[in-house]
Amino acid sequence: MQEFKITFTDHDKSVAVPHGTDLLSAATKAGIILNASCGGEGTCGKCLVNITSGKIKTDSSRFINIPGREKGIVLACQTIVESDLVVEIPKESVATHEHMSHWAEDFAKGVILQREGLFKPVPIINKIYLELSKPTVDDNTSDMDRIIDALKIRVNGLRLSTRLANLKHLSEVLRESDFKVTAVIAYKEGAMEILSFEPGDTTAISFAFAFDIGTTTVVGQLIDLVSGAILGTRIAFNKQSVYGADVITRIVFADEPGGMEKLNSAILDNINEIIEDLINLCKINAGNVYAVVASGNMTMMHLLLKIDPAEIRKAPYVPTLSAFPTMNAREVGINISPKGIATFIPGVSTYIGGDIVSGILACGLAENEELTLLIDIGTNGEIVLGNREWMMGSAASAGPAFEGSGLSCGMKAVSGAIQKVAIDPNMDVRFETIAGSPPKGICGSGYIDLLCQMLKRGAISKDGKINRDTGSRRIRKSENNYEFVVAFAPETGIGRDIVIQDDDIENIKRSKAAIYSAIIAILNKVGKNISEVKKIYIAGGFGNYLNIENSIFIGLLPDVGRNVYEFIGNSSLAGARMSVRSRDALDVTNEIYRNITYLDLSSEAGYMDEYMAALFFPHTDIGRFPSVRL
Amino acid sequence: MTVELIKEKYSGPINTVEIGKGALCPSIKIGGQSTFPFLFDEGEMPNPPVVAYEILDCPPEDWSEHIINAYGNVVKDPVKWAKACVEDFGARALCVRLASMHPDYGSRPIDEALVVLRAIASKTGVPLIVLGSGDEERDNDIMPKVSQALKGENCLLGVASQNNYKTLTATCLADGHSIIADSPIDVNIAKQVNILISDMGFDAKRIVMHPTTTSLGYGMEYVYSIMERSRLAAFVGDKMLAMPFIVFVGAETWKTKEAKEFGSVQGINWEVVTSTSLLQAGADLIVMRHPDAARSVRRYIDWIMTK
Repeated sequence: MQEFKITFTDHDKSVAVPHGTDLLSAATKAGIILNASCGGEGTCGKCLVNITSGKIKTDSSRFINIPGREKGIVLACQTIVESDLVVEIPKESVATHEHMSHWAEDFAKGVILQREGLFKPVPIINKIYLELSKPTVDDNTSDMDRIIDALKIRVNGLRLSTRLANLKHLSEVLRESDFKVTAVIAYKEGAMEILSFEPGDTTAISFAFAFDIGTTTVVGQLIDLVSGAILGTRIAFNKQSVYGADVITRIVFADEPGGMEKLNSAILDNINEIIEDLINLCKINAGNVYAVVASGNMTMMHLLLKIDPAEIRKAPYVPTLSAFPTMNAREVGINISPKGIATFIPGVSTYIGGDIVSGILACGLAENEELTLLIDIGTNGEIVLGNREWMMGSAASAGPAFEGSGLSCGMKAVSGAIQKVAIDPNMDVRFETIAGSPPKGICGSGYIDLLCQMLKRGAISKDGKINRDTGSRRIRKSENNYEFVVAFAPETGIGRDIVIQDDDIENIKRSKAAIYSAIIAILNKVGKNISEVKKIYIAGGFGNYLNIENSIFIGLLPDVGRNVYEFIGNSSLAGARMSVRSRDALDVTNEIYRNITYLDLSSEAGYMDEYMAALFFPHTDIGRFPSVRL
Repeated sequence: MTVELIKEKYSGPINTVEIGKGALCPSIKIGGQSTFPFLFDEGEMPNPPVVAYEILDCPPEDWSEHIINAYGNVVKDPVKWAKACVEDFGARALCVRLASMHPDYGSRPIDEALVVLRAIASKTGVPLIVLGSGDEERDNDIMPKVSQALKGENCLLGVASQNNYKTLTATCLADGHSIIADSPIDVNIAKQVNILISDMGFDAKRIVMHPTTTSLGYGMEYVYSIMERSRLAAFVGDKMLAMPFIVFVGAETWKTKEAKEFGSVQGINWEVVTSTSLLQAGADLIVMRHPDAARSVRRYIDWIMTK
């Protein structure tokens, strides 16, 4: 077959590919990983490249304007090679594999802080210092029995075990340390395992990590188990994103040759980078970190453990396992102490993962007497309703719009993202970015503010169409539809206008409709009214800001008393952190996951009607939003 | 033992929309009912449904010969056609479709249509429904002129759809006409269009809904249930769905092969049965094409409205 030579000028790389190959694959073959969060579907608009010479076949895309098209800018994934090519790749199209983790603030507050104080501070790793009596002729008990006798009373009679490797050098360790040792004991499925014996008293040095492994974002937190203090938090984009934005595309990718290997090493890279960053920063030794507790959705867990996730996306949607045994961290590939453990928060079903169980632990829904609602807005919108007697959970396919994906100027909640927006009656826009840096794009909470303000100022109609007749210089025709300029090129950090387009609004409208209608569907299922819900916790990757009022205004959240709402940030991480600090909390997760009934919305009569009615701002049935006045 | 019939009582009546100025001919009122069709024991139905006769602003090119034969030569002149409908066939309302304005018909200049419309209005005096050509861009151009030319006639102009409602709404508002809000067999979109139109300051009580229907044999049960759901919501108090329905039975029926290809009797019956079915679904204003079918349906309405 005919082969063509593709030269990537700014990378000094070239590669030979057969006729008919797409440019995204060609770049990958050349070892250049392009951003392609849609997995090459042509819908995310991130893999822009510039063809400087050669013949191609490409589809027009809404992400490229006419001048761009004339210059030869195309979406790599939608472009078929038809001759030798010379290709330039703009910097922003390349998936950066350098250190991507960012310092993040710890935003535990309100209910989460209260809850953290509730659990007995008996961490997942318990170090016990022992001064053993030395063996004599009269007391010739074995070394191990000597230890077990001393430990028994300290571990409340829980079963104790250890590994052969620890025993091989035990006699040496004991004698060198003059029978003064510290036993490092881990809590594991209701029993105790001695992970290691350290000479002398090391009880003052003990660390662990809590992780939230999200489809889009990975967050890790280093915790000092002695004081319970959070030493640092870091956040990174899930590196698997280059293989697909959502779990389905990743499951499909995992099935391709080498796919699972790539996905697994991507997430391990994420985790190990965060660990390395934090231990370096806090000047501690990885050997003193004995535990990682992670929560994540079912697909993320399978990919992390390299367990085939294929069945997750096939009816009847069964994961290989939903509750995971505690493992040796090194066996998983996580670089803490070679003897350290990795514990995972159990999930309920394919669609309600450990991240949600962790969130329930964090906000205390499962212990509340009153009816409580937890809404976790991520790539999927998960909703759990219930109290200490019952819980029902459901997942709405909201899509990643609130995480900034699939939108013309969308981005995640990191520095440079517009997160607060106000528009005055003259259509002048004021905004605030995360970390105050020049704007690079708009994140979820920014879009919520923006839509609310545009509705109030008449810049969009209630069905989400940009109003063409306002006379504002910010509203103009783009190629396929209309757009509203949020920030003009000179005020941005990217040198081009930051806009919101008709299609973006349509996208967000679908996301918010999916979440709102899932809330209503679950309430209808159990015959409850939203007014009976006494507490509503909103969790999700909005950074540390979400305007509840504006979320109600656009119809994302039900219109009930504002004091019912509490934004709790990343509740999945909070639950993992609680489980690190207290094994009682970890035990609670094992009760929670067994007590949740899963509601499948796709087979729920009436959900589709609810969804269609919610495709309006705030809702077709305006009577449900009495406080929204337009 | 006598059986007590359960009677429903609803809270919200359907809006009453008046069309025409009532100078030469009486104006028509549609809507106003507080019950499902013809259930006089459960509520009021003050205004009988109305049949409007559909004509074009040009000789019809693709209409069934059965209809053309029934009218005869008058179809060659829209004004004569209109007069025949009123004087010979007893029409109380006319629906003029500006077919010749469509680009496919060569986009005739609007002035020619305005002359025709003014003549129809002055010579017949019956309430008028005026529909654009069906081409959005062209209609946004011509409907403001149509609206102005008929200012004061209190017409019903159409159609405003979800993606194209602003021009028509603004012009109807300025010239005092009522408006047809179009939706694609979808209660939510029907309601959304009503909200969008009234958000422009247009009185919701001057909106007539076109829910989009079909002909007998092409999914009537679906159309029926959408209209019924919409009505039920209105009766229990949803003001944004409390608009009367207009349905274009003639246009729906006469594109089917059952109506066109099996002799005029079957075609007429097809139009009659489609109409009477939609009356049961809640239609308030039926736009028909065949004069014999229209007469039958008017008789049916007279009969069924006799309590």
